[in-house]
Amino acid sequence: MATSRYPRRGAPQVRLRIGFVLIAMVLSVFGGRLVQLQGLDPGSYAAMAAAEGSRDVVLPATRGDILDRNGEPLAESVDGVMVIADPALVNTDEAGNPVDRAPQLAKLLSTKLDVDYVTVLERLRRTDTRFQYMARAVPAAKAAHVLDRARARGFDGLTTQRDPIRVYPAGDVAANLVGFLGTPLGDGTPQPLAGFERTFDAQLSGTDGSARYSVAAGQKIPLGEQTVVEAVDGEDLTTTIDRELQWYVQRVLRQTVYGARADSGVAIVMDSRTGEVLSLADYPTYDANQPLESDEADLGSRAMSDVYEPGSVEKVLTLGALVDAGRVTPRTRLTVPASLARQDRSIGDWFDHGTIKLTLAGVLAKSSNIGTVLAADKFEGDELRDYLTAFGLGEATDVGVRGESAGIVPSGSLWTSQTQDRVAFGQSISVNALQMAAAINAVANGGVRVDPSVVRGTATTDSGQRVGTDTTTSRRVLSEEAARKTMLMMERVVDPDAGVAPRAQVPGYRVAGKTGTAQRASSECGCYDGTFTVSFAGFAPADDPRFTVYVVVQNPRNGGGGGSVAGPAFSKIMGYALRRYAVPPTSTKPSDLPVEW
Amino acid sequence: MPSPVSTAALRQRAPRLAEAAVERARLTVVPRARTRAARVPFVSLVTLLLLGGVVGLLLFNTSMQQSSFTATSLEQRAALLSAREESLGMQLENLRDPQVVARKAQQLGMRVPAAPLFLDLSDGSVEGDPVGARVVAPVLLDPRPAARPSLLDPPATVVRPAEGVLSDGRGDAAAAERGGRNGAEARAERRAEKRAEKRAEKKAEKLAEKKAEKKAQRKAEKLAEKKAERAKKNRDA
Repeated sequence: MATSRYPRRGAPQVRLRIGFVLIAMVLSVFGGRLVQLQGLDPGSYAAMAAAEGSRDVVLPATRGDILDRNGEPLAESVDGVMVIADPALVNTDEAGNPVDRAPQLAKLLSTKLDVDYVTVLERLRRTDTRFQYMARAVPAAKAAHVLDRARARGFDGLTTQRDPIRVYPAGDVAANLVGFLGTPLGDGTPQPLAGFERTFDAQLSGTDGSARYSVAAGQKIPLGEQTVVEAVDGEDLTTTIDRELQWYVQRVLRQTVYGARADSGVAIVMDSRTGEVLSLADYPTYDANQPLESDEADLGSRAMSDVYEPGSVEKVLTLGALVDAGRVTPRTRLTVPASLARQDRSIGDWFDHGTIKLTLAGVLAKSSNIGTVLAADKFEGDELRDYLTAFGLGEATDVGVRGESAGIVPSGSLWTSQTQDRVAFGQSISVNALQMAAAINAVANGGVRVDPSVVRGTATTDSGQRVGTDTTTSRRVLSEEAARKTMLMMERVVDPDAGVAPRAQVPGYRVAGKTGTAQRASSECGCYDGTFTVSFAGFAPADDPRFTVYVVVQNPRNGGGGGSVAGPAFSKIMGYALRRYAVPPTSTKPSDLPVEW
Repeated sequence: MPSPVSTAALRQRAPRLAEAAVERARLTVVPRARTRAARVPFVSLVTLLLLGGVVGLLLFNTSMQQSSFTATSLEQRAALLSAREESLGMQLENLRDPQVVARKAQQLGMRVPAAPLFLDLSDGSVEGDPVGARVVAPVLLDPRPAARPSLLDPPATVVRPAEGVLSDGRGDAAAAERGGRNGAEARAERRAEKRAEKRAEKKAEKLAEKKAEKKAQRKAEKLAEKKAERAKKNRDA
C-alpha cells in the first residue's frame, strides 16, 4: 500500500530527514565561517571594515628654522611637493585611445618647473612604469599653479606628493656651520647630512602627526569617524652668528685668500665680553643650496677641524703669562743677540739683526723669537704649560660644531726645555682657530677666559652634549693688571714706527693685536714643508674691547706675512663690526711703551 | 504583654462601637465616566512632530554636509594660500639676502668705509678719524669662476709622426690653448712648466721636432703670463 501511495517522493520521514541533514550542512558551513571571522582573527577584519571608506593622512611636522642672533633665517623650511606623472595616463585621451602627448606636456613642465625637456620627455615616453618623477622639491604654490595649467590644457596623469624643501636664503653664508640636508626619503623624511642640521636634528625635526577620517566621494563625512594626532613642529635653533657680519667676513676672507693666492682661510669675530661667536667664516666654502657642486673637503668647518701651529700670535699668551706671574714687566730690558744657540738647535728671528736692545714690549712689537725665548726662561717648571692649558689650548671648545680637533699641547716627557723654547713663540704646539681666538679673547676680556659659543640658549647635540650660551663657564687666567699690560704691549704691534703690522689699524680706534707667521708642518714628510700659516689676532677698542677678531690664512703664495696678509683683513672686519654695532672710539691716548732701550 | 485572649475580645468589640460611621464611610463602585478625547488633533500633532523631526533631521544633515563641503574647500584654499604666502616669503628672503643687497648698494656706488664716524648732535663735533674712515674699497662680491675639473684637461697626447712624416706641432698647440682657457692661472702656470720640462727633454732627444716644439712652448708661456697679468688686473680692480 505504502509504495502505491508515495510512488515517486518516498516516505515523508525519509524526505524530512534528508531535508534536515541538508539544512544542518548549510548551517554548519555558516557556523564555520562565523567561527572563522569572529573567533580566529576578528581584529584584522574589524580593521579592514573600518578602513573601508576612511582615510589616513600624515600631518607633517615643520622642520625648525636655523636663525642668526637677530632672528634672520640661515635655514628655513618651505612646503614643497614632488610632481609625479603616470606615463600611461598622460598618453591616453578621454576616449581611451593612445595619443602622444609627451612632447607637449614635457614642454609645459620644462618651461614652468625648470626641468630638462629631454629627461622629462624620455620619462613620459616610458611604457614599463606608471610612476615617474617629473620634478622634485617644487614649492607647493608653484606646483599647484602648474597642475592647474596642465589640467586646463587637458593633460591627465599628473599628481603631487609631499616633498619638503629646505632653503638657505643667504646661500653660502655660515654654510660651513649650518650644514645641509640630503634628498628627502620617499615619505618626506629629511636626511640631515652635515653641520647643525645633523648635530641638532632631534630638536629641529619635530614629530609627524596623523589624522584619520571617513570620506565619501572625496568629502569628509561630518559625523563620521575622525581622530587627529596633532604634529609637533620642530624647534628653531638660534645661533650667535650675525648674518650680515658673517656675510661681510666671508667676502673679505675670500678676497684675502685670492689676494695671497692661498689655500684656505679662517676668520672669527667674537664678542669680547660674552664669548659669543658673531662670525666664523671659512674659505673655501660652499653654497648650502647646492652642496654637491663643491668639493667634499670644503663641506666642514676648517676653523674647527684643521689644527696648525699658531706661530707668533702665541707670544701674546707667553708674555701675558710671564707678566701675570710677576717675572717681567712690559719695560723689562732684554739684550737680543743675532741668534740664540740652544741645546738642539739655534733660534733665529724673522729679520736679520745684530745684537739689539729691546724691551719686552719691543719683543712683542717686533715679534722677536729670541727675545720671547729669553723672557720665557724666567718660567719655572711647567708654568707655561699650565697657563696655556688655562687659556684653553689642547682642549676641545665643544661649541657644537662637528669634527672639532682639540690640538696638542705637549705634555709629560714631551715637555722639555727645548719644547718650552719653541712653544714660547708658537711652535711645537697645535691649535684650532676658535681655541686661539678664545685664548686671545681672554686678554681682551681683562684676563677672564669665557668659553666660546655658537648656539644661543642651550641645545643638545646628537651625542647628548649640552651646548650654548647658557652652558658657558668663565675662569680667570691673567690678573686684570697683567691683561691690561699685555694689551698695552699688543697695541705697539700696530704702531707704524714701533710695530710690524701698521696695516691692521682701524682709523680712529685704538687697536691691540699680534701677527703670526708660522711654518706649516706637513704630515707627509713629518717636517716643516716650507709653506706658512699667516695670521692676525687682535681686539678693539683696545682699552674697552668689544670684539676679538682672528684671521688665519693657510699657505699664502705671495710671500706675505701676518701683518701684510691677515692685517688688512683684520682691519676691514673690525671696522665693519665696530660700525655695525655702533661702538664709538674711546678717544684715549694710545700706548707709548718704549720698544728699545 | 497582653494575653491573646484579651486582644481577640477587643477586636470583636471595636466595630460595634462606631458602626454607623463605618457604614457611612464605606466606598462603593461607581460606573467609569467615559469621555471620548478628540483623536484628530492628537494624530496631527504626532504626525507633525514626526514629520517635523524627519524633515528637520534631513535639513540638519544636509546643512552639515554642505558645511563640510565648504570646510573642505576652504581648507584647500587655506593650504593654497599658505603655500603662496610661503613662496612669497621665500622671494622676499631672496631679496633680503645680504649678497643681493650688497650688489645693489655697490651698483648705486655705495662702499663700506674703513671705520665709522660719530656725529655728536649736541655740539656738532665728529668723533673718529675722518680721513682714515673715508678709505673705501669695493667688496669682491662673486667668487672666481670655478676651476675646470682636471678631467676636462687630460694630459696632451703626443703623437710622434713616423719616420719621414712632417710634424706640424698642432697637437701641442691645441693643448696649450686648452690649458689657457682654464680660470686658475696658477694651474696654467704649473702645466706650462711641466710641458716645458717635458719638451726640453724631448728636444734633446729629437732634434727634428725642435722648431715646432719651441714655438708651442713660447706660446704656452706667453699665454700663462697674459692670464696672470689679467688676473692681477682683476684683483687690483
